[in-house]
Amino acid sequence: MAYTALTQQNPLRVLNMSKDSQMGLVMARAGLGKTALLVQIALDAILRGKRVIHVSIGQSIDKTKAWYDDILQLILQGHSVDRPHELIDMVSRHRMIMTFQASGFSRSRLEERLNDLVLQDIFRPNCLIVDGFDFASADRDTLEDLKALVETMGLQAWFSAIRHRDDARISPNGVPAPCHEVDDLFDTAILLIPQADASVELQFINNSSEQAVGGKGLRLDPTTMMVKER
Amino acid sequence: MKKDLSKVRNIGISAHIDSGKTTLTERILFFTQRIHAIHEVRGKDGVGATMDSMDLERERGITIQSAATRCTWKDYAINIIDTPGHVDFTIEVERALRVLDGAVLILCSVGGVQSQSITVNRQMTRYKVPRIAFINKCDRTGANPGRVVQQLRDKLGLNAVMVQMPIGLESDLEGMVDLVAMQAVYFDGEQGQGLRREEIPAHLLEEAQTKREELLDAVSMFSDELMEVMLEEGEIPETLIHEAIRKGTLALELTPVMIGSAYKNKGIQLLLDAVAAYLPTPMDIENTALDLNDNEAEKVVSNDPADPLVALAFKLEDGRYGQLTYIRTYQGELKKGDTIVNSRTGKKVKVGRLVRMHADEMEEIEEAGSGDIVALFGVDCASGDTFCAPELSWSMSSMHIPAPVISLAIKPVDNKAQINMSKALNRFTKEDPTFKTYVDHETSETIISGMGELHLEVYIERMKREYKAEVEVGAPQVAYRETITRRAEFDYTHKKQTGGSGQFGRVAGFVEPLEEGEYEFVDQIVGGAIPREFISSCDKGFQKSLDKGTLTGAPITGVRITINDGAYHAVDSSDVAFQLAAIGAFRQGYDKAGAVIMEPIMKVAVEGPSEFQGGVMGSINQRRGVIIGTFEEGAYTVVEAEVPLVEMFGYSTTLRSLTQGKAEFTMEFATYKQVPKTLAEELIKTFNEKKKES
Repeated sequence: MAYTALTQQNPLRVLNMSKDSQMGLVMARAGLGKTALLVQIALDAILRGKRVIHVSIGQSIDKTKAWYDDILQLILQGHSVDRPHELIDMVSRHRMIMTFQASGFSRSRLEERLNDLVLQDIFRPNCLIVDGFDFASADRDTLEDLKALVETMGLQAWFSAIRHRDDARISPNGVPAPCHEVDDLFDTAILLIPQADASVELQFINNSSEQAVGGKGLRLDPTTMMVKER
Repeated sequence: MKKDLSKVRNIGISAHIDSGKTTLTERILFFTQRIHAIHEVRGKDGVGATMDSMDLERERGITIQSAATRCTWKDYAINIIDTPGHVDFTIEVERALRVLDGAVLILCSVGGVQSQSITVNRQMTRYKVPRIAFINKCDRTGANPGRVVQQLRDKLGLNAVMVQMPIGLESDLEGMVDLVAMQAVYFDGEQGQGLRREEIPAHLLEEAQTKREELLDAVSMFSDELMEVMLEEGEIPETLIHEAIRKGTLALELTPVMIGSAYKNKGIQLLLDAVAAYLPTPMDIENTALDLNDNEAEKVVSNDPADPLVALAFKLEDGRYGQLTYIRTYQGELKKGDTIVNSRTGKKVKVGRLVRMHADEMEEIEEAGSGDIVALFGVDCASGDTFCAPELSWSMSSMHIPAPVISLAIKPVDNKAQINMSKALNRFTKEDPTFKTYVDHETSETIISGMGELHLEVYIERMKREYKAEVEVGAPQVAYRETITRRAEFDYTHKKQTGGSGQFGRVAGFVEPLEEGEYEFVDQIVGGAIPREFISSCDKGFQKSLDKGTLTGAPITGVRITINDGAYHAVDSSDVAFQLAAIGAFRQGYDKAGAVIMEPIMKVAVEGPSEFQGGVMGSINQRRGVIIGTFEEGAYTVVEAEVPLVEMFGYSTTLRSLTQGKAEFTMEFATYKQVPKTLAEELIKTFNEKKKES
């Protein structure tokens, strides 16, 4: 079943990346809605028929799944969907959660797991979400390695990173620490900036030479954490 | 001792399979001087541990039924419920949790927090049971209590804090450091009876001090007094620390962690001290009952022995001496010769023999105080019934009972077996609300149903052993259901004119899917198109139609039926006529309503070494499973998935050969989902062929 209506109404449609493989980054201070945004990006991909692997570092399967359930409920509340159960079922078939402990996550581990799935034809992902990756203690090599994996497997990957209030370092492009030295590896970065009215603005930093993506005026609703157009 | 509730502890012991529950219980009973020799679970003496009173349990080395037993430690009376560890028996675990005030969660120092521990922990959280953790098997190779504590925090979300620290590990396990008293504790003698406290060995002192700091940091937030003493850097009295730990534990905000090795008799006495010191008394726990005379209003039970009796029958057993009913009192006293009332049936019962159980042996008593766990003889009731003093009609809130998802046909081999089988089935259905039995009228077969393959296997074994009822067992059948996917109208007239009084009734309206709930009947008749007295006949007729769907004969659920028009005849309309009209009307609507078959889906967790993860995921995929996620930790991985129950038959064998026996799985019922088209066609075909045959 096609959910074109849902994807067309989704403010996140601007993120619909054109290249086969691409890297995106969501950055914010703790508690502003990184995971909520990543899950909405993932759901948007799923609604467009893609398969998503959600790697959650340091979080449990249940907690991660709860994010999807909650946001999917909000989507269902906001739109009329004929058979909500079919949609819920479709989402669970197009999503797989992998959780790792912070110390157990590496390119080789991830590659091994992805190959387990792809070679047996259990699950062929198009999109990879990595939530909780520790940029502060990762070096450039590790990230380049991950980017190479993303490219070989033809994935669209989205990472989240925590920025700290007291770290003022920033890249020429405007990407703050701890990602200021690796920002060139990402095609798009989204900064979540808290506003005076308690909402959170999405600020896009585009790295690719292509025409700038849209997304001006997108915000996270402070109560639901859903992306809204102004 | 009997009246002082502050000295009573009702505790359960819960854990993953093979974490050593039974061994630990055995040791506790030994140290509390109730039994004189310790029998190993899989011991060579063939006696088996005391708590596993059924032969079958002895043979399999697992504990199936929870038996309640009483022991005395120092001046504390401890009632222990030994709970089963296999997920197929969760109703037993849940029922036990209902009557407990506190629990000991056992974990294996090597295996750590395993899938079953997660399930049990979830259940304990649901019933708000304060718990302490005991990390067992610290003598085993690969023991790592520190890792287990971390897992308690990460996987179970508990605020776990060690109150002990091991002295040596694996085969070098000598004893432990008591971080509250700051002493080294050793266990002398062949069975560790001789408890020796000494100074902490110099090489461990620094580590012990760090660990003690951690402990104090964690518990000080539960006691202002302790916090003050710590700030003043004065000498901290032990009792202050114990009190703070107790406070945190009762508030479910802290989980003290004990360590030891039940098999090597190390740490048991300290665990018993902890049970007395940290786990709640019956008065610490608020339990509620529903007042049946006051619209089921919630009432808090008082624990006061002077109030009228309220007691819950939580377990039945058929022993050598007849029916034994385990009962927990919540207020009032239970005395020999008293008359009590079963609030479900309203039947009066006279209290005959009253006993206190020690696994297989019993002690006659005259009365039982509030908060106690005892057993009654010769009382006819079902598990979960509430008994009250005649002036009250309260019911302890109903327990969450899942519907059976699997069934088997059984056939007695001869006449004698037939009689014994019905005796056994009668008993089992009373003991276990998730075990059901009925006779299929079409095939005349006896069907038993329950929560999983193992669940039913155990009852079949018990029939053979305890009741000498040999039965032939059919292939397991999954409990399918039917439901509808769209709204459909009906307009049906039932008319019969064959001499004498005729039958007439017309029923019109529509059926539509009901998202939550099984059946709803909506009456929108206006202007008396169907007279009042026949509305309930329509409802009855519809409900009858739901018993068997037309696709596969499975029950129909998730339907809302609305009637909005009809017609009647002054003479020929009757209750029966409208029932038949409703049945016809339902058929008409059902055929147009996109009926589908639903199957039970199980939540499956497979846990094993990461190297097998690929194979495990492949095996789930082959079984039409949807993998929800994987959880990696060190060299272990848990794969969580939703798999149709029908595909899980024989999975344990597959898994064993796939992983060299190194992985294990648990499953519990999750939901019902529509079966795929091809399978549905097959099911319909088989059903039709069967129908033709008969």
